[in-house]
Amino acid sequence: MATNGKADTSSEEETETIISTAIETGESRDRGPTESPRTVVTARDLDVYYGQERALDGVDIEIPENRVTAIIGPSGCGKSTFLRCINRMNDGIDACRVDGELRFHGTDVYDQGIDPVALRRKIGMVFQKPNPFPKSIYDNVAYGLRVQGRAGEVDLDAAVERALRSAALWDEVKDQLDSSGLDLSGGQQQRLCIARAIAPDPEVILMDEPASALDPIATAKVEDLIDDLAEEYTVVIVTHNMQQAARISDRTAVFLTGGELVEFDDTAKVFENPDHDRVEDYITGKFG
Amino acid sequence: MSIERSEPTFGRVSRLKGTVFEYLSLGASVTGIVALGVLLIYVAIDAFDLVNASPEWLLTYYVTLVLPLIGFCLYSANDRSLIRRTAFALGGGLVAMALTFSVVESFVRPIPRLTWQVAYLFVVVAPVTAYVVFVGSREPIGRTGFGLVGRVLGGTALGLSLIILFTVFDERLWFLAYTLGVLPAVGVLAYSRVNPSSPVSLLPVPVALVGFVAASVLRGPVDVYPTAWLIYVWTLVVPVSAIIAGLTAQRDGETKQTAAIAGVAAFALIGGGSLAAGSLGVSSEHALLVLLGSGVPTVMFGRRVVASDTGRVGLFLPVLLVGGALAGALIAESFGFPAPDPWLDASFVTSSPSRMPERAGLYPAIVGSVLVIAFVALLSFVLGVGSAVFLEEYTVESGVVGATTRLIQINIANLAAVPSVVYGLLGLGLFANLLGLGFGSVVTAALTLSLLILPITVISAQEAIRSVPDHLRQGSYAMGATRWQTTKNVVLPEALPGIFTGTILALGRAIGETAPLIMIGAAHTVFSPPNGIWSKISAMPMQIFVWSDFPQAEFRYGVLAAGVVTLLIVLLGMNATAIILRNKYESGV
Repeated sequence: MATNGKADTSSEEETETIISTAIETGESRDRGPTESPRTVVTARDLDVYYGQERALDGVDIEIPENRVTAIIGPSGCGKSTFLRCINRMNDGIDACRVDGELRFHGTDVYDQGIDPVALRRKIGMVFQKPNPFPKSIYDNVAYGLRVQGRAGEVDLDAAVERALRSAALWDEVKDQLDSSGLDLSGGQQQRLCIARAIAPDPEVILMDEPASALDPIATAKVEDLIDDLAEEYTVVIVTHNMQQAARISDRTAVFLTGGELVEFDDTAKVFENPDHDRVEDYITGKFG
Repeated sequence: MSIERSEPTFGRVSRLKGTVFEYLSLGASVTGIVALGVLLIYVAIDAFDLVNASPEWLLTYYVTLVLPLIGFCLYSANDRSLIRRTAFALGGGLVAMALTFSVVESFVRPIPRLTWQVAYLFVVVAPVTAYVVFVGSREPIGRTGFGLVGRVLGGTALGLSLIILFTVFDERLWFLAYTLGVLPAVGVLAYSRVNPSSPVSLLPVPVALVGFVAASVLRGPVDVYPTAWLIYVWTLVVPVSAIIAGLTAQRDGETKQTAAIAGVAAFALIGGGSLAAGSLGVSSEHALLVLLGSGVPTVMFGRRVVASDTGRVGLFLPVLLVGGALAGALIAESFGFPAPDPWLDASFVTSSPSRMPERAGLYPAIVGSVLVIAFVALLSFVLGVGSAVFLEEYTVESGVVGATTRLIQINIANLAAVPSVVYGLLGLGLFANLLGLGFGSVVTAALTLSLLILPITVISAQEAIRSVPDHLRQGSYAMGATRWQTTKNVVLPEALPGIFTGTILALGRAIGETAPLIMIGAAHTVFSPPNGIWSKISAMPMQIFVWSDFPQAEFRYGVLAAGVVTLLIVLLGMNATAIILRNKYESGV
């Protein structure tokens, strides 16, 4: 939590100009000091199998703190599998087996002594399809703090408001906190899920194609939001949409068929001058 | 077909098979419903002695009671086309029914025990009334009226069941259990709400259990108790008043003062009302319980309606109904219309079985049945939901545990098909003989019937849990919730309506079972209601079965039918309660 509350969210206009610049130039946004940031999640030679089938093949990656890291690649290349390894959401699948090393702040996530429930309290997640609980908006956002037993320690009302403000949803829902989260529109629901994920103040937020079920306007809002979130959180986002990766991420990882991490570099470099021909083919649409 | 025509022709596709299938399925479902309907009509005619109802008598009540009710609903619905359709159905139905009957009777054969007026009542008036009540009760006025009537009736039923509860169970034991167990536990709970982090928050259940044990130990030695009335005031009226005050305080725009006034008013209403009834010769304890059940919800509902602007006229519905019934009685009496003498009346449900049909009653069997079903509901719900949660949420698919789970799963499906006699044998061997829980006792019957319906509750609860979308579970796990927290906060609330539905259906089966009760040695006839969970009981289906064997025709026609109708009413009442609970749960966020 080193940089928590470091900066306020940037203003709307600033964000917009940055995004439009990013779109025009294909360059990612420069965040924070120029020296290389700390690494939060490290994978070394990570293999994942579903039964006999190999989903990830020797992945090596270092995900930097307080940056947006995008993971792109064709369908079935193991993007989501990798994402769900980080907070051990694959544990629920009986046939799933993980080899190699995945470290979160230097601790092996798949170590015997690690409690996946405790781990997930440090790593929030947003899913492809908005999945608010059939509870009130307030209860949705307060859910994390409540199940983590922290509802008594913090001011719950303030925490809910802070999370909803960070998710740029407060102004739209502040008068209807008691109505069901399911009454919101799809885009609002997804921002509610983001608010829910950030309310317990995790260090990392994993996003599994958070905008793929949304219309362009809602997508733009969610993208703005991701940009703001990187001020405080480490964001890892899986996306199908290469323009989206180019717009919002600092670093981009390209997975290709077979679960290989082929290229991982600054977003601008990946999109303008990739090292591998296969990546260039994929990005320019010749393949995948 | 000429070349010049620009419109293409497609020909026609035959729908013959589809149409035949459609009408066959319609016919199949209608046949079943009509057969059951005819049976129920005859049973109702026997139970209420409608054979002896003169047309004048029927007409009197039709005009004073049914037409005003329909009028009220139409006024509430405020829909011209509905009025037209209702009038057409009532009038056209009258003509059609009279014509059909005269044609059938003159050309085919006379229809036994059924006049065209009674048939009109069941076939036309009852469905039309039900429909307009349904439509009318969705508008503000109707909602108010039927809400009020429902609260009065339901509250009275609740009060009566409290009375029965305290005749079966010892109110002094309840007094001790409440004072030593419930009250301290609530106190601890309130304390832990204020200080959530203190370790006291784990204590409510242990405190309650210690209190209950202490109560059951002390019940013997202690022999000085307050009167029953004081016990009811202390254990029921005081907490209810406190809850009312608390609820009032929570509502927006209410000061602490009004809340206190509401609490004191409720206390005064119930306490004072029961004392007043006592001075009029009614048992003040019984009056207190009935007032507690019906008065509180009625007054709260009335207050809410008066405070809001819509549908206040609906509050007159009870006046309309009571007035209509009184007017009908007055007219029928003064003109001397021959009235039916129903078998199913107040004395039938309050007196014990008898050799003489006029004095025969079902009271002990009703109490026995309801008591057993209450325990069955509790047991099968807890066990059924527990096993379903385990099977759906906790087990793994692979390994020894997975194989065992699959084995259990297959066997549950098979157990649902085992005949009830076999369960009766199990109850006899296991509960009555081996564990010594008593032949035909409430406990043995409840355990046996719970086992009987357990497979159905488990399977339906599993279905309900399985239908909770997986992305909700994923969302909860990703928030760092444990499996138990996910189950408790996300899965069960979503699955509960479905679980309720399954349990309702299963309970409907349990209340009608006779064979297992015969096997475990339940009495054919008992003459007093059970006075505890160990006493021998009879149940409604048992008693009805016995009556069907009596030599007198009055038993086989009148008393038997009255018993069947009572059984159905109790069953429908139970289902209605469960459905209302379910809908409340579904609509609440």
